[in-house]
Amino acid sequence: MMKTVGTPISRRLVLGAAITAAGLALSGCGGGATPSAGGDVELNFVFWGDANRAKVTEEALRIFEEKNPGIKVKTEYQDSGPYADKLATRFAGGNPPDVLAMANRSLLEYAQRGTLADLKSLKELDLGNVPDTVLSRGEVDGKLYGLATGVTTIGMVVNKTITDQAGVTIPDDKTWSWEDYAKFATEVTQKTGGKVYGAGYDVSTETGPIMLARQRGEDFYTKDNKLGVSEETIRDWFQYSVDLRKAGGYPPAGFFEQIGGSPAQSYLAKGTVASQIIPINNYKGYNDAVEGDVVLLRIPGETSGERRGYSADPTMLWSIAAKSKHPKEAAKLLDFLTNDADGAAHTLTQRGVPVNPEVAESITSKLSEDDKKFVDLMAGIQKDDLAPAYVYPKGASVVADTLKQLATEVEFGRVTPADAAKTFLEKSNAAINK
Amino acid sequence: MSVLTKQAPGAAATLAAPGGKPGRARLKRKNQRSGYLFLLPWFIGMLFTIIPFFASLYLAFTDYNLFTEPNFVGLANFQAMFEDPRLLQSLKVTFIYTFVSVPISLAVALLIALVLNRGLQGLAIYRSVYYLPSLLGGSVAIVMLWRYIFGNEGIVNGFLGLLGIQGPAWVTDPEFALGTLIVLNVWTFGSPMVIFLAGLRQVPTMYYEAAAIDGASRWRQFRSITLPLISPIIFFNLIMQLIGSFQTFTQGYVMSGGTGGPADSTLFYNLYLYQKGFTEFEMGYASAMAWLLLMIIAVFTAINFIASKFWVFYDN
Repeated sequence: MMKTVGTPISRRLVLGAAITAAGLALSGCGGGATPSAGGDVELNFVFWGDANRAKVTEEALRIFEEKNPGIKVKTEYQDSGPYADKLATRFAGGNPPDVLAMANRSLLEYAQRGTLADLKSLKELDLGNVPDTVLSRGEVDGKLYGLATGVTTIGMVVNKTITDQAGVTIPDDKTWSWEDYAKFATEVTQKTGGKVYGAGYDVSTETGPIMLARQRGEDFYTKDNKLGVSEETIRDWFQYSVDLRKAGGYPPAGFFEQIGGSPAQSYLAKGTVASQIIPINNYKGYNDAVEGDVVLLRIPGETSGERRGYSADPTMLWSIAAKSKHPKEAAKLLDFLTNDADGAAHTLTQRGVPVNPEVAESITSKLSEDDKKFVDLMAGIQKDDLAPAYVYPKGASVVADTLKQLATEVEFGRVTPADAAKTFLEKSNAAINK
Repeated sequence: MSVLTKQAPGAAATLAAPGGKPGRARLKRKNQRSGYLFLLPWFIGMLFTIIPFFASLYLAFTDYNLFTEPNFVGLANFQAMFEDPRLLQSLKVTFIYTFVSVPISLAVALLIALVLNRGLQGLAIYRSVYYLPSLLGGSVAIVMLWRYIFGNEGIVNGFLGLLGIQGPAWVTDPEFALGTLIVLNVWTFGSPMVIFLAGLRQVPTMYYEAAAIDGASRWRQFRSITLPLISPIIFFNLIMQLIGSFQTFTQGYVMSGGTGGPADSTLFYNLYLYQKGFTEFEMGYASAMAWLLLMIIAVFTAINFIASKFWVFYDN
């Protein structure tokens, strides 16, 4: 008996396999269709967030279904990152949800490509009680594409248990400057023997530099949908973190692995940093997740700058897809989410302070202590004379990605803050003006 | 052979009974039918590949934002690629990844296959254990696990800490992030290993016996018998690994949370293509990128086929 010498894989076979494998590169993936329920109208409603947000939203939606027989609402939710990816593919595949949560930075990306309905044209949605300053944040060319789910802003949270143990006094947040914050953070690191870093705010999220720009009298995004921030402001934003790191108040390069997750995953909850900048509607979440007492403070520099940096911003926006097969029902749902006190009794300040003042008033008695602190700070901030803020332009998501990329380059000392600021302006302007 | 025919003359006779040739033809037809039947799922699947294949060829010459109708722009997308620094960066990342990890993972795969081929007890278990990572390596769960193993509080830096070494930030430092992914890719050597193992078992033992009698060393036997006889297998594995590696996506996507970061250091070509298509909504450009990738893969495959004439040995 003799075996055939050689191997069973011929050159032709290899070529065939190679062509098949390479060809797969060119075919993307197909999407599926959602089955629609018979009889009843079924709305597809999507948002991003955690399980708790989903739970209170579902509670509110059951009330909506009771009040609107014949309409069923089917929800889907994810974390913000995967949510953005999935939303894009669903719109691209011609299968968008009916009602959806939209990020400020993505609104015009969708709206100016004709994918969102003009909310003003939908009679079922009553906008009578919504302030103009709120409406303007979802408007472009006289059409309303996004309605704020609520308003919020950013603030500083400090783990007071840690600072008390270390014997560091938290400065008065009504008047503190960025220098005060740096001094405070550095002192915390020193007095905890380097176990806890005083500052742990995220350099790479655009809300920080937006605030700094406003304090300096610049609009990060201008009224005519352009980039208005100066190179100096971006440079100083980066330089501030570099200096703070050098002084010891800010963690070393590479320390933050996954920033911007849930409160439970935050470094504040881990106890390795003593302060962080957060969207303040999440304050309760942080105080719950962190062992110890977390206090909510204003952002530094509000009285030491040229003007107040604060503005009441949409936490996120509700939009309706232009291709929705049930625009009337979708508008009813949006009206419910905006104007119905019974629904808001469940969702409370989950997505910011309700934009309808009557609804906001109706829930005050139901708020937890932490949520009340958020609402009070929001009200306190709005008592001041605040400069107007504008809708994010098309291209804002590229701006956000660019900032993130350059922040890492600066973090590891691969570029200077000055060069990073120059590149930031070049790339961002190119993306916005495209 | 002769023993077999003697034992079953009846069977052969009945098969050829109604006139020999027509019977054989019927059998052949039957075989063909079942052959095509087995191919059917592939043909159906092929439709889902062919349609996007040609759609992307058309879209490559358009400005298409996914939401409105595509506009024909000729070669503009291909011209824009030459001025796109991130495209160059993504090519750089992909090339480094491919040309470092493919040779290493093939060498490791061959080495392990050689060891396993020496007639170990419990071969099936070892084979499965070594094959397991390649079933999982491209999966999201394993990349997540990798993030933790190489994370700041992961076991790698924990171990280095025991030795008194302060390990770098493997995942978040732009200098190290790609290297971490290369290690992950090398670790998934299982599928070329299994193919090598099958190839090694095909090499007739009589060659080794003859060589041993002539006094050839083990190294000499490996060089002069094993390597030439399994060279078609090496070639096959090389081509498949190369193509797979050029198309890497999941590892970079999961490791960087979709950004290609830190600082674009894990911006694989396919990840950038995805970003262009689905976050910047430039599907025309993304389609053009897909065709450029196909051309790059075709060129490297062609080079390999030409080069193979000088080192791949076909016995028949």
